[in-house]
Amino acid sequence: MPVTTTAASVADDPRRPWRKRIISVVAHVVLIAASILMLYPLLWMLAASFRPEREIFSSTSLIPSAVTLNGYISGWHGLPLSFGTFFINSFTISVLCIIGNLAACSMTAFAFARLNFRGKRFWFALMLGTLMLPYQVTLIPQYVLFLKLGWVNTFLPLVVPKYLASDAFFTFLMVQFFRGIPKELDEAAQMDGCSPWRIYYKVLLPLSVPVLTTAAIFTFIFTWDDFFGPLIYLNDIKTYTVALALRNFVDSTGISNWSGLFAMSVLSLVPVFVFFLFFQRLLIEGIATTGMKR
Amino acid sequence: MTARAFDAGSVADARAAIPSPWRRAWTANGPGYMFLLPWFIGFFGLTVGPILISLYLSFTNFDLLTAPQWTGFDNYARMFTADPKFIASMRVTFLFVVFSVPLKLAFALCVALVLNRGMKGLPIYRAVFYLPSLLGASVAIAVLWRRLFAGDGLVNEALAMIGIQGPAWISNPRFSLWTLVILAVWQFGSPMIIFLAGLRQIPQDLYEAADIDGASRWRKFWKITLPLLTPVVFFNAIIQTIEGFKSFTPAFIISGGTGNPINSTLFYTLYLYQEAFGFLRMGYASALAWVLLAIIAAFTAFSFLTSRYWVHYED
Amino acid sequence: MSTNFDRRQFLLGSTALVAAGAVAPAFAQDPGRLRLYWWGGQARADRTNKVSDLFKSKVDPKVTIDGEYNGSFQDYWTKLDTQVAGNNTPDVLQMDYRYIYQYATKGTILALDDYIGKGLDLSDFDKDQIDGGRVGGKLYAISLGANSVAMMVNTAAFKEAGVDLPTPDWSYDDYKTASVAWNKANPRNGMRILQDGSGNEPAYENWLRQRGKALYTADGKLAWTADDLVEWFKLWDDLRANNVCVSPDNQALDANAAIETTMITLGKAATTFANSNQLIAFQKINKDPLTMVNFPRAKKGAGGGHYRKPSQFWSIASTTPARDESVKYVSFFINDGDAGAALGVERGIPCAKHIRDAIAPTLSDQDRLALNFVSNLGDLLGPLPPVPPAAAGEIDNELQTKSQEVAFGQSTAEDAGPAFFKAATDMLARSS
Repeated sequence: MPVTTTAASVADDPRRPWRKRIISVVAHVVLIAASILMLYPLLWMLAASFRPEREIFSSTSLIPSAVTLNGYISGWHGLPLSFGTFFINSFTISVLCIIGNLAACSMTAFAFARLNFRGKRFWFALMLGTLMLPYQVTLIPQYVLFLKLGWVNTFLPLVVPKYLASDAFFTFLMVQFFRGIPKELDEAAQMDGCSPWRIYYKVLLPLSVPVLTTAAIFTFIFTWDDFFGPLIYLNDIKTYTVALALRNFVDSTGISNWSGLFAMSVLSLVPVFVFFLFFQRLLIEGIATTGMKR
Repeated sequence: MTARAFDAGSVADARAAIPSPWRRAWTANGPGYMFLLPWFIGFFGLTVGPILISLYLSFTNFDLLTAPQWTGFDNYARMFTADPKFIASMRVTFLFVVFSVPLKLAFALCVALVLNRGMKGLPIYRAVFYLPSLLGASVAIAVLWRRLFAGDGLVNEALAMIGIQGPAWISNPRFSLWTLVILAVWQFGSPMIIFLAGLRQIPQDLYEAADIDGASRWRKFWKITLPLLTPVVFFNAIIQTIEGFKSFTPAFIISGGTGNPINSTLFYTLYLYQEAFGFLRMGYASALAWVLLAIIAAFTAFSFLTSRYWVHYED
Repeated sequence: MSTNFDRRQFLLGSTALVAAGAVAPAFAQDPGRLRLYWWGGQARADRTNKVSDLFKSKVDPKVTIDGEYNGSFQDYWTKLDTQVAGNNTPDVLQMDYRYIYQYATKGTILALDDYIGKGLDLSDFDKDQIDGGRVGGKLYAISLGANSVAMMVNTAAFKEAGVDLPTPDWSYDDYKTASVAWNKANPRNGMRILQDGSGNEPAYENWLRQRGKALYTADGKLAWTADDLVEWFKLWDDLRANNVCVSPDNQALDANAAIETTMITLGKAATTFANSNQLIAFQKINKDPLTMVNFPRAKKGAGGGHYRKPSQFWSIASTTPARDESVKYVSFFINDGDAGAALGVERGIPCAKHIRDAIAPTLSDQDRLALNFVSNLGDLLGPLPPVPPAAAGEIDNELQTKSQEVAFGQSTAEDAGPAFFKAATDMLARSS
């Protein structure tokens, strides 16, 4: 008898075991076709970035007839400042945001998951509520606030909110995770005379590496791809992130340097892709837990 | 308090025995509040405060350079009676959400069902389908999409190979929105993952019991899988809808920030951005933001209220 | 509460702020740095950067000049507004006739009267070009060159089609007649003789003026009626129906007024509405040899549509910390011989007589064409219109959207005319 190992396997007619094979093959074929279709745009762009300019739009094949690095070189210097500056800016912002998110969200999650205090349910509900709040409604007053503080045209408006646990998504993720850590550990530490801070720092955090890593990677990806924030807060080309620089590239060189544009686009996607390659399990589990019944 | 000869223990006991209300409250609540301090600052300073201020601003004319001038309900009146761009952006955003969310969820569910059969190579397929939703929100992908769907782009070349002459997708107002819908649906990987997790949670013995009763595949899907998945469907639907309303980058890049041709890609957030930062009409933009909030709140409330009729929680 | 908590939190927070803040001061406006912002293509960028280099070597070696530009005229204003909102207006910014009123009355740009003769040398500057930059009597912007509207013409395509080049008396009817032979010859696989100009505000203005009307009155109201616009849209409906101009799909590719996406550059049309000084920029990115001709006449013998205007200006931000330096830069830009040579006529005919005289011998044939064009308009020349009101830029953009509605069949000319008239009146009222 064929062994069914999954939760929702298809009912097969046991009188015709070859039927299952056919269905399986068909499913694989369909999935492979779908996969190719899904990835084709990305692969095309990758190929285009290595093609000589004139050939980019004359062929749909994925294999360039002549591989050249010209796109990368011309694209790197395509704007008044080299893309190196933009990558450094994006990277700086992302790292600062990661630190902020990890610190502030874990502290907040610790309070909600482990400590008891008056009004806890109330504040927790409010925090969850902010998950559904559209950012457009706080956008303009925040802008005015940052303007008055003189923070516009610096990285501060993009980074400081992370230190104030503004990303409720990660707080929620961590609360879920902390709830899975046995309370006995806390209680044991408490009996040893540990203050809540020490419990947080010495007991919970070390055990939370998976969720912290997940949060770090997601923070990186979200801030790396963020366009709207830099669009309104960063005005000086020296401060531009990669996302802004790409948009400038499209506008200023327009249709005259596609290989450069695609080359820089590919480069901008590389960090996200790399994280994805190495950490996909974590990422996927992270997403999955948010869908869990609470 | 007694006396001289004490030891720390007994003083502590004594203190504990007759604690002042202040001290008790502090010991109980103090750590909680201290840990929450960053969040409190952010919540009041960056969320609650701004929400109230933007409500105020929505009743004013404010161009950032001079003080806000009170105009009462003028902004709202104008929005609903004299602003064709507002109507256009509402329509465009609604169409986008109404089409992209169900399609996205449908693809996500179908692929999740197929993948859940436990086939070989599941992790690879899962990764392949998930990758676009990681990359999709970026400027790079939007730029690529704009090129793919241009009149002489890859999509039309592919269509030409099977004999269809495709329109100039991006520059034709009838089709430009669909390129954005396709881009959104392309990113079905993230709800798919959630569906996969949800499917995995359905107890195997339910299916085995159904098998014993001789249920067909279709019946099992309708009677077991789908009902038990409804919480996940509900969750996904809400999250994806809200994300759809907030969408900005693809519309911005594909239309060059204009929302054209003929406002056919004028997503609500793009229109808001134009008014706020293109024309420095911050008061009007705040009113626009509040209308969006009202719509999302109404939608969420409606969803939660009607969810009891179709969402089965396994309690 | 253990002290570890406070210290750690403080350390974490302050490290972050210091790290972020460390990045900040480098970009604060500092007097040793001049920020320039202009719109234009690569040709203009090269020339402007050359002038900046000259300024550094000849006048002030210590200054750093950051030149930023935007390929799209439309997008330039959105980004500029964002910078103004962020209290980060560029020190020296390019200004346009349609926007000068708005920025002057809002106080974003500086009144320069006090600098005339004291840092800003306008001694042999054309008087009408100086006046073009005045609002309410005060000088807010310095003209960078005189130009007039002109059609770019792809001579190679005309040759292939076997059609004669447009002459100065061609009217829209003449283009229509020529298109019959043109489309029969079908050069370049579907290229049309005209772009779709229904949403082109300068084309509309030119046409209005030839009929004795104008875009705006001196007190900032519309100087045309809904009927005028209906007739304009109908004119283009007819041209579209007869395949004289490009299809709406194609015209929509010209989304934000960058020369790279104009119909002539994309090879969809053989002529394009543009400005006389842009011949150079267009030629740089077009492989075919181009020439220039005036905008079509409304009908045989009609004239007075064109006018000599400042093509663009330099203005100075009122919030700049480097006022004197900015003024020095602007004065250098328009007066220095080497700068004039580097700039040529790409931004228009230089307004300072000594520059005009100096560069005359060095002009290429095409440059000379641009120069002569503006001087020899003859009966095409009409009076200079008053400064457009504050919403002129927005109205310019909206006309394009409205024309697309008609072109794509979403609206008829009869409906679109009154609808746009009302919308434009609203926009004017809102902005005042």
